[in-house]
Amino acid sequence: MSMIRTENLCKSFHSLEVLKDVSLTVEPGEVVCIVGPSGAGKSTYLRSLNGLETINSGKIWIDDVLIEDRDKGSHVNKVKMPKQQRLAILLELGMVFQRFNLFPHLTALQNIMIAQTKVRKRGEAEAREKAESLLRRVGLSDKINEYPSKLSGGQQQRLAIARALAMDPKVMLFDEPTSALDPELVGEVLNVMKKLAEDGMTMIVVTHEMAFAADAADRVVFMADGVIVEQSPPSEFFTNPKNDRLRDFLRRTLRKEE
Amino acid sequence: MEALLSLAGRLPEWAGPLLENLKRMIGWMPSLLKATQTTLLLSVLSVLTALVLAVFLALGKISKRKIISKPCAAYVFFFRGTPLLMQLFFIYYTLPMLIPALNIKSRFVAAWIAFALNVAAYLAEIIRAAIQSIDKGQLEAAKALGMTQWQTMRLIVIPQAYRRMIPPICNEFVMVLKDTSLVSIIALTDLTYQTKMIASNKASAMVYIPAMFIYLVITAVFTFIFNKLEKKLSVYE
Repeated sequence: MSMIRTENLCKSFHSLEVLKDVSLTVEPGEVVCIVGPSGAGKSTYLRSLNGLETINSGKIWIDDVLIEDRDKGSHVNKVKMPKQQRLAILLELGMVFQRFNLFPHLTALQNIMIAQTKVRKRGEAEAREKAESLLRRVGLSDKINEYPSKLSGGQQQRLAIARALAMDPKVMLFDEPTSALDPELVGEVLNVMKKLAEDGMTMIVVTHEMAFAADAADRVVFMADGVIVEQSPPSEFFTNPKNDRLRDFLRRTLRKEE
Repeated sequence: MEALLSLAGRLPEWAGPLLENLKRMIGWMPSLLKATQTTLLLSVLSVLTALVLAVFLALGKISKRKIISKPCAAYVFFFRGTPLLMQLFFIYYTLPMLIPALNIKSRFVAAWIAFALNVAAYLAEIIRAAIQSIDKGQLEAAKALGMTQWQTMRLIVIPQAYRRMIPPICNEFVMVLKDTSLVSIIALTDLTYQTKMIASNKASAMVYIPAMFIYLVITAVFTFIFNKLEKKLSVYE
């Protein structure tokens, strides 16, 4: 039983190899933070899980269902399943983006309702009720009829989290959720994420927030140059790093935070 | 008019010819306005027809399938790359010679077809640009939420893109309105043709003044309407 399992994921953009045989397993309820220098392939890894990037080779299981199986060289997905079935499996993954990617022509409420009604085919009343309770959960009850442009960065990101949660995902993928935020707004987003983690959500978080990783993660993964260099529980990861590159990385990032 | 003439006696000498000309211009108005109907009808019908065609062309050009996108791109290339006047001649004179079945008797219908085909190419580019101006991140978010491509287009892209199209479409409409003066060359009685007729029959170049004035008023009215529309639709930005 694993929530997400990847085996030997490879991905290149033209001649640039971004992922080199990345294998990682995430258990249900686990919170995994992926850290590393920019260009390490962290975001690409996350995006290949829900099909925003197509991998060149490797295997991906979601909730123990194999959805990607590509050989080196051929690049053809050997998993044949109806589009609808694949879509249903991918819906188990919710995603939060660095730049929020809210729909600017819809209000906060509509942003959360649209995929519920059009994809999950829920009724108007049910979707609205769900949206209202999620807005309460992320502390945006008073912004229900505001357009995203009227919200601060932190509020927009919390709205984006609520939008993803509305689809009842089993896993939440966070792609540098606080990197585009002003420093004083980072806390409110991390708090929502922390609560989510405490509630038992399976999460994969690509982040530069070492304090969050130390505090909320069950396991921290260090990626560099398209490979996983080291992974361990935060207590060990931050106090007893084994790899030189990780030590160097930690020294530089932690000094910046002080 | 009577009052105006009685006033003329008390005005300085140079005012006499001016009033005389003004009187003639007003006299030409009914026939000019009648021809204006053709200009307006041709412009509106052409743009509306072109819009429908342009939506398909734009979506076709965006398509990832080359068998669809290439012909659409070729269409746009052709109609933007040759003079509108030539296209008008082609449809009215050349086409019937090539294919006798396509002998369009009505000058108006020929002009309508030529303009619709030509304007569609320009509108297609406007629509394509507006669709592609929507931030890619929103498309990714829609995909991550499980929306199909068509749902994303219908629910996310088009509601935002069509607001961005309105200013350039307004621009295009004003251009078309003025370009319809070209149809006077195939002797379709639009505002320009009627103006030329009056100019030669009455031997007075004064007629160009009210004619241009009419073009200006129509342009102003449409620009005003489009501006209002644009303001109304941009609530969320």
